[in-house]
Amino acid sequence: MTRRRLENIALAGITLTAGAIWIFPLYWAFVTSIRSDARVVSDGAGLIPDEFNPTSYVDALFNTSLIDWYINSIGTSLIITVVVLVTGMMCAYALSQMQFPGRRLLYLVVLASFMVPAQTLVVPQFELMNRLDLINRWGGIILPQLVVPVVIIVYKQFFDALPKEMKEAVVLDGGGDYTLLFRVYLPLNWGITTALGIITFIMSWNAFLWPFLVVTTENMMTIPVGITQVNDAFGVAYARVMSVALLAAAPVVIAYLIFQKRVTEAVMISSGVKG
Amino acid sequence: MDGVKLTNIRKAFGPFEVIRDVSLEIPKGDFGVFVGPSGCGKSTLLRMIAGLENTSGGRIEIGGRDVTHVEPAKRGVAMVFQSYALYPHLSVAENMGFSLRLARAPRHEREAKVREAARILQLTDHLDKKPSALSGGQRQRVAIGRAIVREPEVFLFDEPLSNLDAELRVQMRLELTRLHRQIGATMIYVTHDQVEAMTLADDIFVLKGGHVMQSGHPLHLYDDPDNRFVAGFIGSPSMNFVSGVVTRADDTGLVARTEEGELRARVLGPKPGPGAEVVLGIRPEHLAPVEAGGLPVRVEVAEELGGQSFVHARSASGSDIVFERRENRARLDGQALRLGAAAEKVFAFTPEGGRLR
Repeated sequence: MTRRRLENIALAGITLTAGAIWIFPLYWAFVTSIRSDARVVSDGAGLIPDEFNPTSYVDALFNTSLIDWYINSIGTSLIITVVVLVTGMMCAYALSQMQFPGRRLLYLVVLASFMVPAQTLVVPQFELMNRLDLINRWGGIILPQLVVPVVIIVYKQFFDALPKEMKEAVVLDGGGDYTLLFRVYLPLNWGITTALGIITFIMSWNAFLWPFLVVTTENMMTIPVGITQVNDAFGVAYARVMSVALLAAAPVVIAYLIFQKRVTEAVMISSGVKG
Repeated sequence: MDGVKLTNIRKAFGPFEVIRDVSLEIPKGDFGVFVGPSGCGKSTLLRMIAGLENTSGGRIEIGGRDVTHVEPAKRGVAMVFQSYALYPHLSVAENMGFSLRLARAPRHEREAKVREAARILQLTDHLDKKPSALSGGQRQRVAIGRAIVREPEVFLFDEPLSNLDAELRVQMRLELTRLHRQIGATMIYVTHDQVEAMTLADDIFVLKGGHVMQSGHPLHLYDDPDNRFVAGFIGSPSMNFVSGVVTRADDTGLVARTEEGELRARVLGPKPGPGAEVVLGIRPEHLAPVEAGGLPVRVEVAEELGGQSFVHARSASGSDIVFERRENRARLDGQALRLGAAAEKVFAFTPEGGRLR
């Protein structure tokens, strides 16, 4: 056996082990969700699926507000994604293509906000939303999630790299900034827009801390927050919690499987690996 | 005239003045070419006419209308860029009709104009293709088509052929001349290539350091340059220059002793007396081997072009002297020769570069 072949086998082994560690919680959640509550806590419950009991899924779908939470999650995530993309692109366009005093300073503020962890802003944001009377309102859930500096940074890099003659051609053709942005630059960057759209959507779908803090009314909750209610309503009902969790993750997982290439690209673009 | 008129145009980037008091006029329907070395301000001047650069002073008129502070799209100009600047996501037809679409022109009018431009430029078969599916020459034609569709008073070309290979450049040069005759609009063309300038222009404007050094018909500039810069810039291979000291001066000209020999130049106007320094310029085609007098040189290499050849020789002081031969293919490599020229073909310049006529 050659050294190269041994290396490949070793690498494959490491990758498979890492994959197994990563997938194990999901696997266990699935196994748990198809057992009855009694079986979940019984002594002999092992790692191998030994019964198929869909009760917890039926409960999750019909005895909780799961459908509401789905709709809430889809609605807020879509609004957040669209608004973040449009405002991010316009902000990046201004920073990249327009001349105005304080442009560099503004970009530094965007860059700096990229480095502030969202958790540190929770208290002032909560206070702000409280003063605006937006607690337990859609505005309160959505507004703080509209600031996504990475979108601005990625778009700005893209606009900076475009040849200035294209802009001048539009100016001579009689177009202004909106023509340039929405009729030339936007169609040119569909790849980036799709990628940023996917990560923004996933990010807001998975957002837990902020929606958890700002919403207390059950029928306004998003899915990740709703899961906490399942726990409360049924005591420690592991099978139901797991089935809700899996149902919550399902749209993202399906979206990921469909747009796998785009999502990978999105992660690479937003992390700066690929420009 | 009612073409393009610039009066005392200035442009400064901070303390650095790139265009210094330029005044010029290109009559309606003429093909004007701005030519000069890199950094001479020719592109900046063109962009100022287009409205893509503000002017720091002076007045720009197009068709008799003051457009100095008018926005680019309302000046009646269309520009063709070196990089083509086509919209990659639009088809050829959409690229060409983009300005009409923005102007909300009726669809049938837009399509008719695009078709007509495509016919002129032989792009009819490519109207549905994206720019990426076209060759460099075709892309440049689309860029020109985009300009034609707007029916501007003035076409502006910013080094449009620089990205093409040599053969295509020659072909596109001819096409541009043909197009100019066909459309009859005023065209202004920027290039650093004096061959392009010579072949395309009705009027050449030679720029250096933000000044127009001389303007006029290409052959006028070639035959009667105002200064050493223009004499050296126009013509390929460029003019030979040798420094000398005046030994005699009479009514018809002066004789200058150079390190290498003696040359006579025709100067009818005021001329410097004996002992004054001058620079003599002779074009390669006017230099020929002579029996006596002239400049002693030693031949180094010959560029054989078939019908003609350019022979590179080295003078006693080490300067490179080029002369042209036709019909004679005898090898001269390494030979010592004397080169002379008729006095009326020898230009005399002051050491500062001004012409002595």
